[in-house]
Amino acid sequence: MRADPNKRIPVWDRLVRTFHWGLVAAVTIALATGFLETASLLDLHVAAGVLIGVLLALRVVWGFTGTTYARFASFVVSPPTLSRHVAAMLRGTAKPHVGHNPLGGWMILSLMTTLTVLLVTGVAVLGGVLKDGPLAPFASFATGRQLKELHELAAFTLLALIGLHVTGIVVESLRTRESLIVAMLRGWKHRRADAEPAPPRQAMPALAGILSLLVLLSAGVATAHFSRLPVAGLPSQPLDTVYAKECGACHSPHHPSIATAATWASVMRGLDRHFGDNASLDAPVATRLAAYLADNGAEHWDTQASNRLARSAATDPLRITATDGWQRLHRHVDKTVFDRKSVGGRVNCSRCHGDAEAGRFDPRAIHIPEEKQTP
Amino acid sequence: MKPIRTLVLAALFPVVTAAAALAAMSPARQAIFDEYLSAARTAEARFEASTVRGETFFRGQHTGGKVDTPSCTSCHTSDLKKPGKSRAGKDIEPMAASVNSKRYTDAADVAKWLKRNCSDVLGRECTAPEKADVLAYLLSL
Repeated sequence: MRADPNKRIPVWDRLVRTFHWGLVAAVTIALATGFLETASLLDLHVAAGVLIGVLLALRVVWGFTGTTYARFASFVVSPPTLSRHVAAMLRGTAKPHVGHNPLGGWMILSLMTTLTVLLVTGVAVLGGVLKDGPLAPFASFATGRQLKELHELAAFTLLALIGLHVTGIVVESLRTRESLIVAMLRGWKHRRADAEPAPPRQAMPALAGILSLLVLLSAGVATAHFSRLPVAGLPSQPLDTVYAKECGACHSPHHPSIATAATWASVMRGLDRHFGDNASLDAPVATRLAAYLADNGAEHWDTQASNRLARSAATDPLRITATDGWQRLHRHVDKTVFDRKSVGGRVNCSRCHGDAEAGRFDPRAIHIPEEKQTP
Repeated sequence: MKPIRTLVLAALFPVVTAAAALAAMSPARQAIFDEYLSAARTAEARFEASTVRGETFFRGQHTGGKVDTPSCTSCHTSDLKKPGKSRAGKDIEPMAASVNSKRYTDAADVAKWLKRNCSDVLGRECTAPEKADVLAYLLSL
């Protein structure tokens, strides 16, 4: 059914619609991968976040340079105007709006603000906890952990706002007898005499293009620059060669950052009965390794591993896999995984953690080997 | 006469093969082996290393050490030209001198592992003759 062009009023331009449905897709992916909290989905979560950031940046620029109903000026109203609209709605006398009604406008602002909070805290968590991304040089592990709470709180807020947003769409669609979802898909609404229009504005696509390019380019350059800065608290040197040879002869050599200097000192004192094996070393080698461990223990770093594995278990103080932190971090790993021949027990960190020997333990570097088929 | 000749040959065979293997040894290995041989001769004046005794010792079941490692083969397995497996799951490079040129070239390394593993398998240090025999055996492979 083709409506008479004279009876159509263009409302949502192509960019607004692309932004809206692109955001729906990106937010769906971000929420799903975020709540699942699966290591292998983290890359997708971050990618969805980057996409949300790009979409938001473009939308903000377009909010100042775009077509009439894309402009913030067309839908952001003062609180008194908002309360008058709500009162009129309750009386049943509120007029339909061509663009967003005042409540809708505030919803857009709330959604965009919440998404911005999610973006900033998300990048800070990535930086503080995983020591990756542009905030890695600035965010400590403790800060990252705290902001993770805020990130999660904002995610629940976003879910609630999305619920309200959809409710508002349904209510307004029924009230004005025109589907707002269809309008957001095809871009126009039916012209009607009683609808409140906004003062018309000319779009400035050239300016919008230049501004968008500037914003995205500077954000990209800043991200690239800060992501390359040295990160305090993240080990950057390869393992000491003697350490890697001696300790790596029997098990994958543990990065010194996963236990405190005190724990390492105890380990070195008891090498002749090292978890049931005689692992004694020549005095000169032992002295060298003890010094290396003392200089590189958990207290010297600020990684997830150095923070969460440092507190020894009371019952088995030297066993890293007995620590509360290790247990919590591996609580979702099926116990039989460690029995696989291809894994070879809990002691072999590097079998699953591709970056274990660098002391990084990024969830994105986890690859659990499958059990080899017995012929 | 024939049975006696066979017996003599059989008795000589290990000595000959050991001598052949030792003759082909690199100077680094030779130096290490000589050290263990002279240590054994300090303990037993007329000591001659025997690959047969070495093999029996290496493959034998011992008591006194840890329950899960009663033999050298517990970790090194019975095919010494193939990798073994440490109790912590790490591959151990093959023991046979012929397939692993890095073996028996670093005196400190040899001493370290003999010290650790004798204690794990036997619950004591190995004697100098035991060490020399085992080395002769592993070098002959």
